[in-house]
Amino acid sequence: MKITQENVGWISAVVYTSVSVLAALVFLAVTLIGDYGWVARIGGSLWVFGLTMIILMPTVMPFLRDRAGMASGGMSQGGHH
Amino acid sequence: MTTEQKQPQHKEATIPVAGMTCAACVRKVEKALKGIPGVEDCTVNLSAGKAGVVYDPEVCELPAMADRIREIGYEVPNARLEMLVLGMTPGHCEHVIGPAVRGLPGVRDIQFNFATDTVTVEFIDSMISPAEIKKTVRSLGYEVHDKGEGEAGSDRERELRQQEIRRQQLNMLFAWPVGALVMLFTFSMYDPLDSFMPDFLGDKYLLFAMTTPLVFGPGRQFFVHSWNGLRRGVTDMNLLYATGIGAAYGIAVINTFFPDAGFGGERAVFYEAAALLVAFIVLGRYLEALTRGRTSEAIRKLMKLQPRMATVLRGGTETEIPADEVEIGDTVIVRPGDAIPVDGVVTDGYSAVDEAMITGESIPVEKREGDEVIAGTINKTGAFRFEARRVGAETALAQIVKFVEDAQTTRAPIQALADRVAGNFILAVHALALVVFLFWFFVGFGAFFDEGTRLMLTPYELSELEVFGFALLVSVTVLVISCPCAVGLATPAAMMAGTGKGAEFGILFKGADAVEATSRINTVVLDKTGTLTKGEPSVTDVVPAPGLGQGWGPDLPAEVLSLAATAEVNSEHPLGEAIVRGARERGLEVRAPDSFDSVPGHGVEAVLREPQDERKGEPQDERVQVLLGNRKLMSERGVEIAPLLTDAERLEDEGKTVMFVARDGELAGIVAVADTLKETSERAVRELKGMGLEVVMMTGDNARTASAIAGQLGVDRVLSEVLPQDKAAEVQRLQAEGRTVAMVGDGVNDAPALATANAGMAIGSGTDVAKETGTVILIRDDILDVVAAVQVARQTMRLVRQNLFWAFGYNAATIPLAAGILYPFISQIVSPELAALLMASSSFSVTMNTLRMRGYTPPIRRGPPSAPVTITETPQRRVSTPEATS
Repeated sequence: MKITQENVGWISAVVYTSVSVLAALVFLAVTLIGDYGWVARIGGSLWVFGLTMIILMPTVMPFLRDRAGMASGGMSQGGHH
Repeated sequence: MTTEQKQPQHKEATIPVAGMTCAACVRKVEKALKGIPGVEDCTVNLSAGKAGVVYDPEVCELPAMADRIREIGYEVPNARLEMLVLGMTPGHCEHVIGPAVRGLPGVRDIQFNFATDTVTVEFIDSMISPAEIKKTVRSLGYEVHDKGEGEAGSDRERELRQQEIRRQQLNMLFAWPVGALVMLFTFSMYDPLDSFMPDFLGDKYLLFAMTTPLVFGPGRQFFVHSWNGLRRGVTDMNLLYATGIGAAYGIAVINTFFPDAGFGGERAVFYEAAALLVAFIVLGRYLEALTRGRTSEAIRKLMKLQPRMATVLRGGTETEIPADEVEIGDTVIVRPGDAIPVDGVVTDGYSAVDEAMITGESIPVEKREGDEVIAGTINKTGAFRFEARRVGAETALAQIVKFVEDAQTTRAPIQALADRVAGNFILAVHALALVVFLFWFFVGFGAFFDEGTRLMLTPYELSELEVFGFALLVSVTVLVISCPCAVGLATPAAMMAGTGKGAEFGILFKGADAVEATSRINTVVLDKTGTLTKGEPSVTDVVPAPGLGQGWGPDLPAEVLSLAATAEVNSEHPLGEAIVRGARERGLEVRAPDSFDSVPGHGVEAVLREPQDERKGEPQDERVQVLLGNRKLMSERGVEIAPLLTDAERLEDEGKTVMFVARDGELAGIVAVADTLKETSERAVRELKGMGLEVVMMTGDNARTASAIAGQLGVDRVLSEVLPQDKAAEVQRLQAEGRTVAMVGDGVNDAPALATANAGMAIGSGTDVAKETGTVILIRDDILDVVAAVQVARQTMRLVRQNLFWAFGYNAATIPLAAGILYPFISQIVSPELAALLMASSSFSVTMNTLRMRGYTPPIRRGPPSAPVTITETPQRRVSTPEATS
């Protein structure tokens, strides 16, 4: 799908939520191997999910927005040429 | 359309922004504004609470930017103008005035009160002035008067700042007593408190009931702000606070209601951690709000100088009108004690005016007909009238205020770096918190956990902690302790204090980058003429010929000078004018000659009538011939100059121009003329060298003259015979040698060199600062202000570095501690409240350190004005004039 200024918001949301859920699931999977209680497993997964979201939200959105901007900027420049 | 074609259409504007609290807020606002199509550049200053934008008015408008700022959760404070509009009728006039005013750029709202004939306009101060709004209403045919209670933008800003201070004060009033009680009650079961405090005080449900309103009352702001930021993909300090407080509170709530969940059990209810975290962060916020309010004091002080009312002569009668309605050409009446409302020129009367607030000059300046007066200065003794020449935004005061405001909106390179670091720091800290959590969860807890684990400086034993609770606690502590909340304040607060302090002494820095550049210079290039010297020649020495006696009076030097001045009185040559002026300054008689001939390139020849001299008993109408000129003239007329040749050569070696004087073919003496040094030049050079700077003098003079003057001043290096157009190239050459150069010169003539230098200092600009080039404007024509400028800049940068140290130092030093690096050895971890205390210490240190600038006076401006200038002993026959420095 082509990233534009209009859809960059929800594409970002899909990306950082998916990656965070994935990180939490990986954490949960690893705890299942070890001897951990369910509070630790669920609580830990939620904390990993939260921190990953906090790290990714301000990283993914500007990154994709820049890409969308570059794409539209590049096109308009091309038009001028 | 190319960029080059677009460039001239770009406009600059400053938008006030309220509600920013940290460097991340700055980034957030910048990001939002830069995201608007048509905004070319944006610089946000946290301390000033302003956003400077460069934009294309054809693509975007300022109100859209203001709306965008509001959208992301900040305020754009509106200024309010209340005016009495006479002749309005309900309904009709609303439709006449309303659309016209609403159509003005920056106007946000207009309200009518027909009962009181009042129109209230809300507008963005930086986009339009109250005078323009009033003018628009007047142009519609209404009579408009100032209600005198309108709020200027700065007052509104100040009110908002005060509101923020009051809000955080209220938060503190709630957070601190409750936080302290929660802590006290928590420890009520421990020795010695358990001996006299009832048990129920330590009840976890009571602590829950006390802490909950604290977290969701004063602490609510952190959750709201961080959520607003996250929604738009931006993190700020609030996020660290929110995760810290939320996690501490969450653990406590879980341990209260689900004690077996493995978070430390029911004895580990960290309500006091959450409560004190809120209290400490609110304290930090309060201190920041206080600092921001105080650092722009310099501007408010300047703005307060502007009188609101003026007395003008209209139609032959004195009328009191608002100062912003004075028009160019109005005759303004000033009485003793009055503040001068606009700039102008005295037309009648005499007084002394205190200009210290504008120029830094401590002694009141005499004003008489023809002298300029400056708005905002205070009339001391007499009364006078003056003609208004510059009004409104054109006055020196308005220009200086704008200058300082603009300077405070800019960002120093060091600040840009600090902001970038702080912005990335937050993400890095969250990443670190994740790593720390994973380490203690999967590795550290199993390897190092000790049953006797305690929180530092608390009596808690955390034996019931399980792996998740332990890892989470350490992770949260890392978040809280890392928060560089004072970083956003460190540089701008110091810069505002520094630029404001400079303005107090008549030194205007064009931006924070100018302060930084000035502090870094290692070479000062001083233009000679007009900077080191007075820029006009004057008589320095008069040496009578040996053996004069018969036919001469007792004061030979005076008679020789008088004779020379009489010969030159009709001359228009600068040297001749200097001789005439020199004679008059000494109270000597300067008569008109009977005849006068200029001998181009050589000198002058004059015939004059000798005055009656009873001692000599000579006839009254005896005529004498006077020659004044160079060696060639004397040689051609057969005048023997050998007796004074040695003196002449010595004076020429000192860089002076020597003229021989002969009466009736007989050598009478020599008169030396030179562009004299300013009284403070020698001291300024000495001080600059004392500060470790290399001092270079640049002049168009020949090497011999330049060296002579350089010798008197003690400058390190001379660049002589430099043509005006080559000055910039000389500065470039010095820069190519690896020097960081400050060029000091005339803001108009030396403009290219000033622009080339790392720091261009325009000296003696007077009050028309807007016309000046250069990054530093020195209002007074005093070279000691160059020294003062460097001292203020260095002190400001010292403050910046100290502030950055305090802002980052605590965090950087304590992160490893919070991450549990010592835990395997001491079985103790940092408590979240201790982390909050360390974090608040940063804000406290930065605030206290910045306030030190308030009492700062540049060393050169302390104590007696200047050291006495040494005047070398001269031979008996020679006259050293007051201006002479050799």
